[in-house]
Amino acid sequence: MNELLRFFAAPFEFPWFGKAVLAGSLVAIVCSVVGCLVILRRMAFLGDALSHAMIAGVGAGYLFMKVVFGYKAHALGMLLGALISAVLTVLLINFVSRSSRIKQDASIGIMYCFIFAAGLVLVTRFQDLIHIHVQHFLVGDVLSVADEDLKLTSYVAALVLSMVLVFFRHFQITSFDPIMAASLGFPVGLLDYAFTLCVSLVVVSAISMVGVILVVGLLITPAATAYLLTDRLQRMMGLAALFGVTSVVGGLYLGVALNSSGGGAIMVFCSLQFLAVLVAAPRYGLLGGWLRRRRMIPQDLMEDILRAVLKGGGEVKSAQVGAQLPHPGASVSRALAIMAGDGLLRENQGAYALTEQGLDHAKRVMRAHRLWETYLQRVGTPASELDARAHTLEHIYEEEAMDYLDHKLGHPLTDPHGSEIPADFVHLESGLPVMLSLLRRGQQARVVALRRPAEDAGLKPGDRLVMTGRQGDGKVWGVRRQDGQELKLDHAAADAVLVEVVREEPRPPQA
Amino acid sequence: MPTELRLDPAPSTDPPKPEAPALEVEHLTVSYGPKPALLDVTLSVRHGQLVGIIGPNGAGKSTFIKAVLGFVPSDFGSVRVLGTPAREAKGKVAYVPQRGSVDWDFPISVREVVMMGRYGRIPFWRDPGPEDREAVSYALETVRMSEFADRQIGQLSGGQQQRVFMARALAQAGQILLLDEPFAGVDAATERALLDVLRRAKQDGRTLLVVHHDLVSAGEYFDELILLKQRLVAYGPPEHVLREDLLTEVYEGKLKAFSVLRARDAAGYEG
Repeated sequence: MNELLRFFAAPFEFPWFGKAVLAGSLVAIVCSVVGCLVILRRMAFLGDALSHAMIAGVGAGYLFMKVVFGYKAHALGMLLGALISAVLTVLLINFVSRSSRIKQDASIGIMYCFIFAAGLVLVTRFQDLIHIHVQHFLVGDVLSVADEDLKLTSYVAALVLSMVLVFFRHFQITSFDPIMAASLGFPVGLLDYAFTLCVSLVVVSAISMVGVILVVGLLITPAATAYLLTDRLQRMMGLAALFGVTSVVGGLYLGVALNSSGGGAIMVFCSLQFLAVLVAAPRYGLLGGWLRRRRMIPQDLMEDILRAVLKGGGEVKSAQVGAQLPHPGASVSRALAIMAGDGLLRENQGAYALTEQGLDHAKRVMRAHRLWETYLQRVGTPASELDARAHTLEHIYEEEAMDYLDHKLGHPLTDPHGSEIPADFVHLESGLPVMLSLLRRGQQARVVALRRPAEDAGLKPGDRLVMTGRQGDGKVWGVRRQDGQELKLDHAAADAVLVEVVREEPRPPQA
Repeated sequence: MPTELRLDPAPSTDPPKPEAPALEVEHLTVSYGPKPALLDVTLSVRHGQLVGIIGPNGAGKSTFIKAVLGFVPSDFGSVRVLGTPAREAKGKVAYVPQRGSVDWDFPISVREVVMMGRYGRIPFWRDPGPEDREAVSYALETVRMSEFADRQIGQLSGGQQQRVFMARALAQAGQILLLDEPFAGVDAATERALLDVLRRAKQDGRTLLVVHHDLVSAGEYFDELILLKQRLVAYGPPEHVLREDLLTEVYEGKLKAFSVLRARDAAGYEG
């Protein structure tokens, strides 16, 4: 225990360690928060490009301050130089991708290599004046943060974080739906440049610590880690900041323990953290997805079970369910347990009953089964095969397919075995207007609208009516108007009357 | 059982200006590169109309929508929305994007998406106020999505996603609603429900412009149709636009598909 404590406390005896933790955390927080938007805007490659392009700006800034004012390694000068080179890179990228057929990603590749290479040439050509180690620039050195760097980093962090906070909605809407944003009058182009500027600032301040190559990792990895854990942008930013800090702190300890490069250790720790979350995240993680898939039971089996329980009425024992299945032998008890867990069934001392959700699903399947049987009979399938084939087809129960089948069959009331086909409860219970042809006996409705060929059926909008039942082999819809007048409509006319169901009454059993 | 749907609770809706037409397009010509996307389109849409925009692929339907939103610079001609040039009429036109153009993995809830409809009237230093939240709840209620308000948008069915964006347009309380293929990829019941929302928005005095691809239902859904193929081929009531000769001209060989399309049973009622 004491040893552990010593391990964590010991590095703080060196002043550089505390400073590294502080500066690194600041950089990580601001990087991660901005990184969330970078990910969502799919700008990761641009972030990489900007970081590379900055060497030219840093070199030029160094040279300028040295030659003109005689300052050596002037931090602000290098920062401004870096920003200028970043903006220049973005302008060049946009120029190429807008004015030619070269797409955005290719023009990013071209332009950042150009600026990066120009920077290399500049720094090596004037190496007697510019004391920048390219090596240092590439990998950074978090363990030797100068006070001036720390101050600059704090300013940058404060500026960028307040930008993101104050203009949160602006960045959110332009990232999510730029067209909508523009139609509301948001200055989308200006915001894009403001955001690119934020990214550039963040990258500049991070480069001295983790270097050009790793900075994009610090920008996007904590943000990506957070993205796997939440569905809200605010929370994603908060979590990303947290992961950024843990990466820096954990990475610094790792670096001390292994006596390795600080920047490298930070990114290793950060990436391991990402991988751990990728595996373990509840909703978007690999483990969760694998477990969910394992828990899944075949759709057919589930629906067969639902229908068996529905037919059993009330509570049904596991063995009874098994006996009713068309393909016996499946692991019924496991499937039942999983379905109970999913809220389709309710278990009570070994017996199962449908929940509301399960009942809805079961009714859909039942309706599909009976409609399919009716269809199969109409097309001349032998009676002995009806049930088996309908069992296969019942798993096709998409609303649109069933609507179509029901319509083409003339809204049948019973299947070939004489069982009632459940009413089209999907539409009848939706609360929206339905076609009169979907009404069942005893249902009351109010006419909403009419179209051809129902104009002369004796109804007008606002009329109340009661469905009295189907006549003539189901081909005639009988309704009674509020004044007692009995009306008869054929299929086409019944389809052409749009009604609102007034009250769901318990229906008398159909003859 | 059927709840009464009032549409406009939004206290902040500007009263319509009846003197100017909802949309006035004059000699609009837009081109990307050498080929014109729109050529000399002139039309004027009255308030409170439900207008369908039809035409084959590449006929300039999307460009037309963008022009009404004030995005595309026109080579020639003008677009006026409620009497003001389109570029200055920001916020008055509510836009419902095509489903394919949305990042459904974006970390955002249904309620937050609908709240975006209010962003145009919230200054950046303020948070959304009670009236904004009320307008959002109301819009969600109107499209029957209240119970899904806290879901992430990717966890909805296609029809539900479409309704969320419809709610956003309603929350925006724009007088003109632009919808880009709202019925694409939704089931028949949802199509009916969406149409219902559109009609109520219309009864409320709003003007709706809907890009639509199904010619059969186009005749039944809309008061007026705009038939585009770079030029304005026809504009008027469906029976004047859906004429064999015009459609043959515009759709060329593809008209066969039109003649065999089965008529949808789900719509076309006149109340």
